[in-house]
Amino acid sequence: MNLSVRPILSALLRNRTGAVLVAMQIAIALAVLVNALYIVMQRIEKMRQPTGIDVDNILVVSSAGFTERYQPVPSIEQDLRYLRSLPGVTAATATNSIPLSGGGSAQTLVTQPNAHSNDSMNYFEVDEHGLDALGLHLVAGRNFRHDEIQPPLTKAEASRFVPQIIITRALAQDLFPKQDPLGKQVYDSIGQAATVIGVVDPMLGSWPGMIAHPDWVFLMPRAPFTEGGNSLIYLVHTQPGQREAMLRLIETHLSSSNPERVVHFVRPLRYFRDLVYLGDRTMGIYLFTVTLLLIAVTCLGVFALATFNVSTRTKQIGTRRAVGARRADIVRYFLIENGLITSTGILVGCALALGVGYWLSMQYELPRLNLYYLVGGVLLLWAIGQLAAWQPARRASAVSPSVATRTV
Amino acid sequence: MFAYYARLSLASFRRNPGLTTLMVLAIALGIAVCIMTLTVYHAMSGNPIWWKNDRLYAVTMDNWDPKQTYNHDGSLGPPPQLTYKDAMHLFSSDIPERKVVMYTVDAVISGTGLPAPTRVETRLTSADFFAMFDVPFLYGSGWSGSADTPPQPVIVLSRQENEKLFGGINSVGRTLRWKDHEFRVVGVLDEWMPRPRFYDVNGGSFQMPEDAYIPFAWGKDLELLSSGNTDCWRPEKIDSVAEFLNSDCIWLQMWVEIPEARSRERFQAFMDGYWAEQRKAGRFERPRDNRLTNVGHWLRDRKVVDTDNRVLVGLAFAFLAVCLINTVGLLLAKFLNAAAVTGVRRALGASRRQIFVQHLVEVGTLSVIGALLGLGLASLGLAAVHHMYSAAHLGHRGGYQELTHIDAVGVMWAVILAIAATLAAGLYPAWRVGRLPPAQYLKSQ
Repeated sequence: MNLSVRPILSALLRNRTGAVLVAMQIAIALAVLVNALYIVMQRIEKMRQPTGIDVDNILVVSSAGFTERYQPVPSIEQDLRYLRSLPGVTAATATNSIPLSGGGSAQTLVTQPNAHSNDSMNYFEVDEHGLDALGLHLVAGRNFRHDEIQPPLTKAEASRFVPQIIITRALAQDLFPKQDPLGKQVYDSIGQAATVIGVVDPMLGSWPGMIAHPDWVFLMPRAPFTEGGNSLIYLVHTQPGQREAMLRLIETHLSSSNPERVVHFVRPLRYFRDLVYLGDRTMGIYLFTVTLLLIAVTCLGVFALATFNVSTRTKQIGTRRAVGARRADIVRYFLIENGLITSTGILVGCALALGVGYWLSMQYELPRLNLYYLVGGVLLLWAIGQLAAWQPARRASAVSPSVATRTV
Repeated sequence: MFAYYARLSLASFRRNPGLTTLMVLAIALGIAVCIMTLTVYHAMSGNPIWWKNDRLYAVTMDNWDPKQTYNHDGSLGPPPQLTYKDAMHLFSSDIPERKVVMYTVDAVISGTGLPAPTRVETRLTSADFFAMFDVPFLYGSGWSGSADTPPQPVIVLSRQENEKLFGGINSVGRTLRWKDHEFRVVGVLDEWMPRPRFYDVNGGSFQMPEDAYIPFAWGKDLELLSSGNTDCWRPEKIDSVAEFLNSDCIWLQMWVEIPEARSRERFQAFMDGYWAEQRKAGRFERPRDNRLTNVGHWLRDRKVVDTDNRVLVGLAFAFLAVCLINTVGLLLAKFLNAAAVTGVRRALGASRRQIFVQHLVEVGTLSVIGALLGLGLASLGLAAVHHMYSAAHLGHRGGYQELTHIDAVGVMWAVILAIAATLAAGLYPAWRVGRLPPAQYLKSQ
């Protein structure tokens, strides 16, 4: 019975090629595992950020007038009246762009007239049904009143601002840190003022995951711009379970109710939300799959080396058994040997993982690799490495002592 | 000799079928992941008009805010688009052999005898567009320069749009209503899908080319705003189209084709002269940064290949490396396991070289099988990637179709990569087994 590592080590050093190869695999696997997992977790976190919007119960209708005879204001009124009359619909509003879609509008918003700002704030034009149509939570102040809704901008009057706005809590904290934003004045780039009358929380705007602060958003009480055949968006909030039925109904009705305009599409808001995160989702799945395969291939390498070592040392194992080694000793021998190889690989892998993590943090402008991931990766690979060597080690222990006495 | 070696390797495969299968699988997986990732990377990053890299240039000027750079990350460089005022002035130059200034508009095409009115993304551009970007025509042609100003009611349709509107017939000479104005079809494009859409990467480089093209000056006549990206920085009151056209808002893409270096210098001087003149008048407050950028640099500057893709390429090669190291290990184990047989062959007179070649033939056979299997796996994987995208793009004519087919050159590279990589992996084990002293292995028999 010998627990010492030294004879195992010297046996290893006499026959190192296979061991070096396996250690290299483990090193690469660790570097990839740790960093891939780190990226995947960041993507999941990004996708999980609450939107504040009732994504699953909202339909998006996009349409545009295309003839000279098209009258936007009465047409929009008529459409909204129809949408709100449907029994499965709880609220509807006209707006300028689709939330969470990756496309939208932004303008400067500052707290002093004619002050300079580096940030453009994402905005949506809605009416008094806007909050309900989006399913937003008003946490302070009040909603817009019907008489506050402004007529749409025109080409001849494109710089007009609105007297009141509702902002997200995140934007409030940016504009008025540690103050009550209600009743405060904000200004556009040419110094026109608006009063903050309400605060919603949470809410993501047009560019979730694409800009630094997707939650800096404000709402304006105004009908959307439709001149020149600009696309017009309706957001329709439906009762739970009614979305698909309403979709078909609305599509059929609107595409024939006004020959001066075309309906581009009626789609669930979820479609746009999924599209905006599609790249992250694909990246996550791809990274996860390849990492899994990588671990599997590495396991295979560990397993193959251990099997090979066992099969070439059958005679020696028999001899050890014949001179008194127990089965457990044989198993221990191979596991310690494998552990030495794995640990070497892991040691190199740690350096590699940190190097790759540093490179990635430069690429993504992200915080450096979280060390918990490294510790987790080390434990996981070590466990997997030992598991892969378990079966060959067991087989080694089954070698009969009588093998030592045979010559063939 | 080769046939004999091939028979020997078959016998060797049969001796350890499990180990052989594992090896082939490892090679195939490594190759498959590499091909998949490289195909995606290539589709995203390839320069789709590389043959004009020394003559096509994007034109940009830094008219941005003196207090901040255009790029939010603070990096220098002019905005990717021009103001109307600047574009019109630069367009007036006769130095470029060809020139375009352009933007996109959301329109509806209707007409009697045509299907129901539908939205058609339209590019407003100038006559040189088609020749400059080597756009292929199925029927007819683009419009002549004389149709640019004053703008003539002429329209060019994409092949898909022509199929939708006219059932794919030669529609040259037919009329239709574009935004309720009558236009005459002068040309129909053939299949054209530059990947990425280098000439306008605003809003994503994987977008499709537009489905209709009309002369640029219609934009001013009909007061059409861009459906693409419009960026303004100067606090200014804009209450009419005239004020907008005179503003510091950027929304136009401009490209020039200038083959000779001397003409390029002249055009650069022309831009710089205009810049100096405008600066005196109070514009262009930032340091001078007027650029002519070729397509290759343009794609790099506009960060068309996103970081994700570069990371995935790195991952793919790490994976291939692990697969190959694994193969080296497995081959070594396999060859050394059969050392007794090799010992007999050596004793009977086979030279070290012959043993080496014999084992390389075995490795070569494995690599060919692995490469073929890898190609199969890669096309399955790409189909899965495509499925993920197309499921989300329901009803869209997404640009991700490109990803599903691996082109002939790609396949050739993949096979070469697979075979070279596996052979390289097999070199050491094949050499090592030839070095074994035969006597030792004969002794115990």
